[in-house]
Amino acid sequence: MTTSTTRSRVVRLLAPLAVLGLVTASCGSDDDSASNSNEPATSEAPSGNTDPATTSEMTDGPTIQIRGQDFSEAITIAEVYGQYLEAKGYPVEILTPAGFRTEAFDGLQSGDFNLIVDYVGGTQVEIAPDAASTADVDEIVANITDPLQALGLTLLDYSPAVDGDAFVVRGDSEASTISDVAELDYVLGGASQCPERPQCLVGLEDPDIYGITFADFITLEFGPLLGEALANNEVDAVIWNTTAPQITEQGFKVLDDDQGLFPAQNIAPIILTELLEAYGDQLAADINELSAMITTDDLLAWNTETDIEFRESDEVATEWLKSKGLL
Amino acid sequence: MIAALTSLRPSQTAVPRDIGFFEWFFDADTWTGTTGIVASLQDTVILCAAVTLVAVAVSVPVAAILAHLRRAEVSSTWLVSISRAVPTFAIAALLLPWSLERGWGFEPWPIFIALLLLALVPIYLNTYTAIRQLPEGPVDAARALGYSERSILTKVEVALASSLIFSGIRVAAIQVVATEPIRAFLGGDGLGRYVRDGFGQNNNTLVIGGIVLIGGLAALTGLIFVALERLVLPDGVRRLTRQQGDTSP
Repeated sequence: MTTSTTRSRVVRLLAPLAVLGLVTASCGSDDDSASNSNEPATSEAPSGNTDPATTSEMTDGPTIQIRGQDFSEAITIAEVYGQYLEAKGYPVEILTPAGFRTEAFDGLQSGDFNLIVDYVGGTQVEIAPDAASTADVDEIVANITDPLQALGLTLLDYSPAVDGDAFVVRGDSEASTISDVAELDYVLGGASQCPERPQCLVGLEDPDIYGITFADFITLEFGPLLGEALANNEVDAVIWNTTAPQITEQGFKVLDDDQGLFPAQNIAPIILTELLEAYGDQLAADINELSAMITTDDLLAWNTETDIEFRESDEVATEWLKSKGLL
Repeated sequence: MIAALTSLRPSQTAVPRDIGFFEWFFDADTWTGTTGIVASLQDTVILCAAVTLVAVAVSVPVAAILAHLRRAEVSSTWLVSISRAVPTFAIAALLLPWSLERGWGFEPWPIFIALLLLALVPIYLNTYTAIRQLPEGPVDAARALGYSERSILTKVEVALASSLIFSGIRVAAIQVVATEPIRAFLGGDGLGRYVRDGFGQNNNTLVIGGIVLIGGLAALTGLIFVALERLVLPDGVRRLTRQQGDTSP
């Protein structure tokens, strides 16, 4: 985003404020400097968000554009962050979800949007593919922070909420760890990315990690189809995610990753550094506050509502934010 | 280590992202193994041939008899509009859970039925209109010569209409070949696998490779039917068609 478009947007956003007579001297900073963080309004916003006049003062900055990846959990997460920031008074645009991780990073760099929420282990595969896969979230954060910085992106605090990879089998399977599967001649189902990923089929077959020889690998669309295939004995195991509500719904079980193949997958927002600087520390603090509140159980609950009860992601997000007193 | 793995399981070799199309296409490994082009092509061709054959076996007799009896004219015109709106992917996707529940697996029934519905219509319509619009002269002449109604249908009407019937089959076969790749998105394989994997792995070479292969097969199907037409059609009909083509404005 160029400075001139930022400035014209700032001017446009300031116009209604001028009419309201709310413009103070501090709002004249159209150079996107971090001085905004010193505004009294920002510190009032969390407590005074019932008053629209107070919150609208936050609109002195570039629009935050967030886009979720195109699967239900990511869509709900994007709605939660988007609606939360909107309630905080930031100018927010929640874009129509599209694509997956690669498209998310492409879009960040081309300026189509400036905030995403990703899973740290996945981010590492995308941004630092040569770094060792690890279940230690802080190690992953250390691995990806610098490469992200080099791309003009900043990783904000990760959330305690985790949605990791899961090796899922039917409830009656004899295996309890992934290593047990080596004896069982299973047919594995997974998304089309799996065969080329070290954290997926490549690692499962690697003699130094699991060394499993599968009877076959069947490519399936990531999502409910995995559960259908597993439930109907078309495959014996699938690579899914730990917060898939169908796992408990359909009586499946997640095998223990005894060799530590799957990386830590805490959710973490990634923001365009330029945008972060435009707002100063307050934006980071606001986002981190939200990230800290989301738990793995919340993710599971959201997915149950969207995938099992077929509710709309934006409603699910609104309800959750209200229940937490954030809206 | 990776090399050792791939030699163990050639079926799941990951294709590098930076490989060029020609490099990929002319690599022997691309063609062999259970995910190779030969195996995928075989999957696709067998399914498409089966669908087309069943569609011909069902559509041609039904349409010919109805046209001979001058029945079902209104419903046939209705078919024209409906045929433009067969959501093949939706039908296959709806049938998929049903097939899985019965233990019939991902394939072949959901994709077979969906493609069959796609193929039936053009063959039915071409057969019906071809026979319905024949000049009355030859049919009356055959009747006057003492042909049974059955002989009129098979020896006169279908024979004279065979050129148009054949073009209906050709259109259906090309549509089936061009649509069949959706099975890769429904738990199956075939040539669509390259497009699917290419999207999933963000590998444009695979996507382009899939498109080239599918487009090439569809074009080849058209050519094969042109050749078949020359072989199969009665000489008289071909001469007739050519003459009509010459004299028509």
